[in-house]
Amino acid sequence: MQAELPHLDPATSQINVEDSAEQIPSAILSLSRMLLTLIIALLMGALVIWISGKNPVEAYRALLQASLGSRTAIANSLLAATPILFTGMAAAIAFRAGIFNVGVEGSLYLGGFAAAWVGFTFTTLPPLLIIPLSLLTAGIVGGAWCYFPAILRSRLQVDELVTTILLNHVAILFTEYLVNGPFLVPGLANAMSPQISESARLPRLLPPSQLNASFLFALLAALFTIYLMTRTKFGYEIRMVGDNAQFARWSGINVVSVIEKVMVFGGIFGGLAGAGQVMGVHYRFIAGFSSGLAFTGITVALLVRNSPLGVLLASLLFGMLRSGSATMEIMTDVPRDLIRVLEATIIFFAAIEFSNLLWRRHREH
Amino acid sequence: MNIDQLTNVLFAALRVMTPLLLAALAGLISQRVNLLNIALEGLMLFGAFFAVVLGAKFNSPLLGLFFSIVFTTLITFIYALSIIELHANLIVAGLAINILAVGLTSYLLVVMFNARGAYSPSNLVSLPHLNLPLLKDIAILGKVFSGHGVLVYVSWILAGLCSVFLYRTPQGIHLRAVGERPEAAETAGINVKGIQYLALLLGGVLCALAGAQLAIGDLTIFNDSMINGRGFIALAAVFFGAGKPSLTTLGCFLFGLFEILQFRLQTSANIPPQLPQMLPYLIVVLTLTAISFQKKFTKRMAG
Repeated sequence: MQAELPHLDPATSQINVEDSAEQIPSAILSLSRMLLTLIIALLMGALVIWISGKNPVEAYRALLQASLGSRTAIANSLLAATPILFTGMAAAIAFRAGIFNVGVEGSLYLGGFAAAWVGFTFTTLPPLLIIPLSLLTAGIVGGAWCYFPAILRSRLQVDELVTTILLNHVAILFTEYLVNGPFLVPGLANAMSPQISESARLPRLLPPSQLNASFLFALLAALFTIYLMTRTKFGYEIRMVGDNAQFARWSGINVVSVIEKVMVFGGIFGGLAGAGQVMGVHYRFIAGFSSGLAFTGITVALLVRNSPLGVLLASLLFGMLRSGSATMEIMTDVPRDLIRVLEATIIFFAAIEFSNLLWRRHREH
Repeated sequence: MNIDQLTNVLFAALRVMTPLLLAALAGLISQRVNLLNIALEGLMLFGAFFAVVLGAKFNSPLLGLFFSIVFTTLITFIYALSIIELHANLIVAGLAINILAVGLTSYLLVVMFNARGAYSPSNLVSLPHLNLPLLKDIAILGKVFSGHGVLVYVSWILAGLCSVFLYRTPQGIHLRAVGERPEAAETAGINVKGIQYLALLLGGVLCALAGAQLAIGDLTIFNDSMINGRGFIALAAVFFGAGKPSLTTLGCFLFGLFEILQFRLQTSANIPPQLPQMLPYLIVVLTLTAISFQKKFTKRMAG
């Protein structure tokens, strides 16, 4: 019946083809593929810059200078990489299990608001209590948000891509309502919550940059994910489900539970990413603050073919692009939206899968 | 609610459902060849952008509409090519189109007009509106059905044509065959790739119309968030309608009606706008859940 939702068929899906971190030849192959994708994207970007009558070399030089040119520039790149580390890991794990969880964006908003709420409500708590409490609340709220589409997906086969995209709108609108209604701060031009207490703020690492302790949490989360995916039974189960869900079920793996855990895991990471932005950068919840961080995470995961180690590296790269692009716009008049064009190109080429293409050609002759 | 208010609401609902219906027809045709078209949202944004920018350039909304169709179909062709020839993952490629649409249109707005996020050319007028002869003089029907923008009527005609195409033409029957049993269709000598191209490219044309209706149908404005999830609501209407043109049209009408009602509610009852705005998305999720429940139940009943 045509109305059946065609969710990703794990056996043929090109999202999760291989485990790049495991063997050296495949690691080199995936690294060169990642570089090739990146070069194509940069060339595409250069073409766009050139057509619009600007100088691509100057633009890229400004981008590089602004992202790596000084200690503060590097710190700002790491700052921009922080939420992408979380969302990239969330996307990589989900893809590895053959799941398309876009709900991380919603978790990011709700988790961010939850952290802000703890921060401006329990103002008397000392840092040692309020910071873990904020993070915990954000993680729980973020995880719970992804649990709904997870149940629908695992038990009723409701396409998780469609539901999470729709639910993202709900989450974003709901947080917008909260800061415009019950938690409105009179006299502020933009919709935002009250400031969180001094003790709920994460310490800055390299002032004057806003780089803060949430970067360290993100690094820890990344290392934990790498360990989880390569060294634990759960990581193995995720890969089994992603490669062939039917076979995994026959082998005695509880596929329903793996899918639910993977999506909740992504939600927790989303919540923590939002909390990091609130507690380390803005010190309050601002409506619409994310501008698609979860989608950048998806881009990153696709670029490195879901290798957790690759996500770690590519997040830093995307942090550079993001933090450098604003300065690039000021210095060379090349709009920072160029970064989205680069992202789209990367996703596009990840979708095409070079190896798949080469392999087909090889077989045909 | 008196009779005037009712006709106003119905008139507005028909206007609001039009971009949804056009995009839903695009999604429906793709769905019938078993291609889940995630790119509707991005293609609509491209459609809206080209309609406003090129309409303003040539100082004619009709030329804007024409070039919007040409260029949006061109972008759809790249999308189709990557899926059909290069075996790109359908969903990932669709995501790329959506991100490209936001990125490229915002980029071009800054470069071309030094405008961030929104652009409203002062020289461009909207597409013509039609007063239907005879009908416009009938008391209530005239107020509801007459005086809409030209694309509103085009969308109704296309919905009818879509039904005729799918069920009464050889191409339509081939198209459904490809969607239901691709191997069998291939064996029967149907050009599967050709049908897939046809489905996606028709979708591109429809998305261009949908975007143009939003951008130059009533006002002439482009902004980078103007599609606002309509591509996905359209897709949801296809699921709601189980891939049938008639039910999908009904779904679009209901979503359109709902959008108008919540708009009225927030102006008259002072309810915060975000809460009713959340409802269409929740309704769609519930609809999808109900469909799956029903499917599971009937499967169990069948044994």
